[in-house]
Amino acid sequence: MGIEPGRLQFSWISSAESTKFVTVAAQVTEAVRALGPNTRFIKPLAEVA
Amino acid sequence: MGLSKRKAAYVEYPQAVPLKYAIDPEECIFLQKGKCGACKKICPTGAVDFDQKPVTSTVRVGAVVLAPGFVPFDPARYDNYQYAKLPNVMTAMEFERMLSASGPTQGHVKRLSKDGRDPKKIAWFQCVGSRDLNRCDNAYCSAVCCMYAVKEAVIAKEHVGPGLDCAVFFMDMRTHGKEFERFYDDARERHGVRFIRSRVHSVTPVGTTDDLEVRYIAEDGSLHTEVFDLVVLSIGMEVSPGVLDLARRLGLELTPGRFCRTASLTPVASSRAGIYVCGAFQGPKDIPQSVIDASAAAMAAGEVLAPARGTRTRTKEKVPEVNVANERPRIGVFVCRCGTNIAGVVDVPAVAEYAKSLPYVEFATDNLYSCSQDTQETISKIIREKNLNRVVVAACTPKTHEPLFQETLVNAGLNKYLFEMANIRNQDSWVHKNAPELATRKAKDLVRMAVEKAALLSPLREAELEIHQSALVVGGGLAGMAAARSLARQGYAVHLVEKEDRLGGQARNLYRTARGEPVPELLSSMIAEVEADPRIQVHRGASICRVEGFVGNFKTTLEGAGGSQVIEHGVAILATGGRPYRPSEYGYGTDPRILTSLELDRRILEGDPALGRLASAVFIQCVGSREPERPYCSRVCCTHSVDNAIHLKEMNPEMNVFVLYRDLRTYGERELLYKKARELGVIFVRFSRERKPEVRLEGGRLLVRVFDPILGRELELEADLLTLATAILPQENEALAQFFKVPLNADGFFVERHAKLGPSEFATDGVFLCGLAHYPKPIDEAIAQGQAAASRAVTLLARKTLYTSGTVAEVDPRMCSRCGVCVSICPYSAPSWIEKGPFAERAQINPVLCKGCGLCVASCRSGAIHLKGFDNDQIFAQIFSLREAV
Amino acid sequence: MSDWEPKIVAFLCNWCSYGAADLAGVGRMEYPPHIRVIRIPCTGRMSPNFFLAALREGADGVWVSG
Repeated sequence: MGIEPGRLQFSWISSAESTKFVTVAAQVTEAVRALGPNTRFIKPLAEVA
Repeated sequence: MGLSKRKAAYVEYPQAVPLKYAIDPEECIFLQKGKCGACKKICPTGAVDFDQKPVTSTVRVGAVVLAPGFVPFDPARYDNYQYAKLPNVMTAMEFERMLSASGPTQGHVKRLSKDGRDPKKIAWFQCVGSRDLNRCDNAYCSAVCCMYAVKEAVIAKEHVGPGLDCAVFFMDMRTHGKEFERFYDDARERHGVRFIRSRVHSVTPVGTTDDLEVRYIAEDGSLHTEVFDLVVLSIGMEVSPGVLDLARRLGLELTPGRFCRTASLTPVASSRAGIYVCGAFQGPKDIPQSVIDASAAAMAAGEVLAPARGTRTRTKEKVPEVNVANERPRIGVFVCRCGTNIAGVVDVPAVAEYAKSLPYVEFATDNLYSCSQDTQETISKIIREKNLNRVVVAACTPKTHEPLFQETLVNAGLNKYLFEMANIRNQDSWVHKNAPELATRKAKDLVRMAVEKAALLSPLREAELEIHQSALVVGGGLAGMAAARSLARQGYAVHLVEKEDRLGGQARNLYRTARGEPVPELLSSMIAEVEADPRIQVHRGASICRVEGFVGNFKTTLEGAGGSQVIEHGVAILATGGRPYRPSEYGYGTDPRILTSLELDRRILEGDPALGRLASAVFIQCVGSREPERPYCSRVCCTHSVDNAIHLKEMNPEMNVFVLYRDLRTYGERELLYKKARELGVIFVRFSRERKPEVRLEGGRLLVRVFDPILGRELELEADLLTLATAILPQENEALAQFFKVPLNADGFFVERHAKLGPSEFATDGVFLCGLAHYPKPIDEAIAQGQAAASRAVTLLARKTLYTSGTVAEVDPRMCSRCGVCVSICPYSAPSWIEKGPFAERAQINPVLCKGCGLCVASCRSGAIHLKGFDNDQIFAQIFSLREAV
Repeated sequence: MSDWEPKIVAFLCNWCSYGAADLAGVGRMEYPPHIRVIRIPCTGRMSPNFFLAALREGADGVWVSG
């Protein structure tokens, strides 16, 4: 569908695993940052306006 | 624990409830030297009071429950393990903190010596401060250390990596709890944890390094040395001197191990009427057993106080609910500063100002503490004055504070579901303190998302259901009778169903308890009380053939000799008990001298005089237990055989009595029986699953061959009596499990709501469990769990009515395509087919059974199911609000 | 685009990851401030439409955590 795989991430974290949450949060952010802005799938602004 | 530092102003631990700071008077400069007081000056609410003094107050009560717990054994006394001197010798409690993700090392396992490096080899020493009269006075087994050591070894391997070498030095591996034996098998076979049967002699440092040389003697007598990076001492439990002092002042009788003395029939009652006990003060025990005891103690206290129930409660006046249907949303936004917790990072006034610009927002402000009493009243007043019909609070987390704010709405006449929270503390200011600008932006986004969702919220109704004030107890054994007796004492009508034609269950076959109480007397007193109670209706020779309904309103059909009968009840307790394994091994059935444990009890009960004239008796343990096809420990058989061995020795001290065992599991103070048996001359020989004893008949002689690992050779024992300690099996519970929609584990025992925190109830509301149906257990534990299950049931019955949650799924039958996915996918069996009417054969969802998970909503191909409070349009509103960047 | 910062939507299960996120706050742990959390009752509630919508509406990434 044209979405880069890294844009969508899944994880399983129990409510006690705060350290894991922080680690995964950082990983997700970095993965998305590496992909750069999402331009391929976004609804053009004009269409919304 | 001394592993890390804390400040003088501190929170006890991150999960503390209430999450409030305290001041350590030992470390506070102001309290010690009269200088500083900075915290008092800086606290915006003036919460710091240096003049607080301990206060003595008198409370009049009808019953007391003691739950003072235990203290971990201080291993400094073991000078040959050098805990006080060597940095890399630590206690299991310290190691537990090190494994904890929220602990001082964030779960990183490292050496405590200066090098601080990751360990490659870790050793655990069992029975430090337990089963030891040489270096301490604790003859008992602490019952939990084997399991926690196995757990720590497995988790350490997970944290450090599979290359970590873990070795557990032990005497008997006591993994007698539910699912514990499987864990032990996995630790050994899958994770490669080494288990070495030896009590370690000494630990010495290797040269000038902080490595540790461990010297031990293996079972065959050979001496070994091995070097480890860390040594963990599996310390036992002790009753603290302060608690002993309390017990003395209260006049409570203690056991030889200095625990509170109780009896099997009243396992949580102390020797003094009206004083109950639970947890490790009653005896060493793990979490599930402590939780069971706690419920049982609450029950026991509740029984004596039953006439006074509800006499001192006050009911709140109900504020009539305002009808907001068809009104345009008028949203109020309250942004919390939480002192400096939020305002120290996030620009709270700017967020409140921003909120005013959002659609449908009538009013927005910031509060110092939104959760404080006066702010609650202010919010309530503003809701009325500004005629608000939706409220957004941007503060901490809905998980702790949503109910509080919902109550504020209710007090202001608003439906509690017209509320939404934005989590700008736990998930914003606290975690982005070095990025205040981005944190403020995030706060604005979160507030906007909450406002967009709030605009779409609608009032939800919680259906009120009457709870039928009666209980069904399935199973008339000791556990079931204990549950029925407790419920009746609390004033509830009980139907006790027993499939046999008499009460008593398996206890009818038992001779005496581990405390030496005769079981027949105990049983007949229990049966007499149950049969005499007019509130308990006993249905003998009856079985259950149909169950309809749900929590509060069950309809169960009983079938018995007198035909069938329908019973209405609000709750159900499953106490179906267990049954003995019938062995095919060890020549059982080929010779009258080969008995099972229960058959030996029967002979003792009948006063068989031949028993005293025997020249030798042999017991074989783990018959049918701890086998690949039945990988669990039956928990009671070691104590049972040891006690019977003592009985035979007492009848005839000349008799040769042998117990052939794999691990002797006389946990807790049952260990004293093991000690007594050895003192009386009972001989214990260990065998392994790979090399079991062999039984044969030769010229009328019954012979048992067993390999003795200490002597290193085969022994041949002649037995006049061979007792097989057979496994405890569950009853065939499949039908009952389906009737009440409750799960069974691989071994056929029922699966409780939570292995640790919900051992006596099911995840299915209104259904509870106790006794052997849960797991094999001795009489005292079965009775305690009977009381516990009754206690959990009473918390429900006493409410009289039940409110369903408003956030449940609902089917629009017009849209339903009858695919049936929701009916098959729901873990709680909430969806069903409509039976008649215009929408017959389409799906409907029972709001009582629905837990609001949304699984059916996501799986519905027709879009016919809506989850109230988390509906598609509400979640989409949150997503769409992202478009507008702040 | 030098000042571009990623915008990430997280769908967190109320009972699991949402609790972990709260606990991370209690522990004052730090992580990047680009995540916007939507609380869902359970990951079973998650529908592909949600993350497609999020990406269409301008999110640079979607994180679903149970």
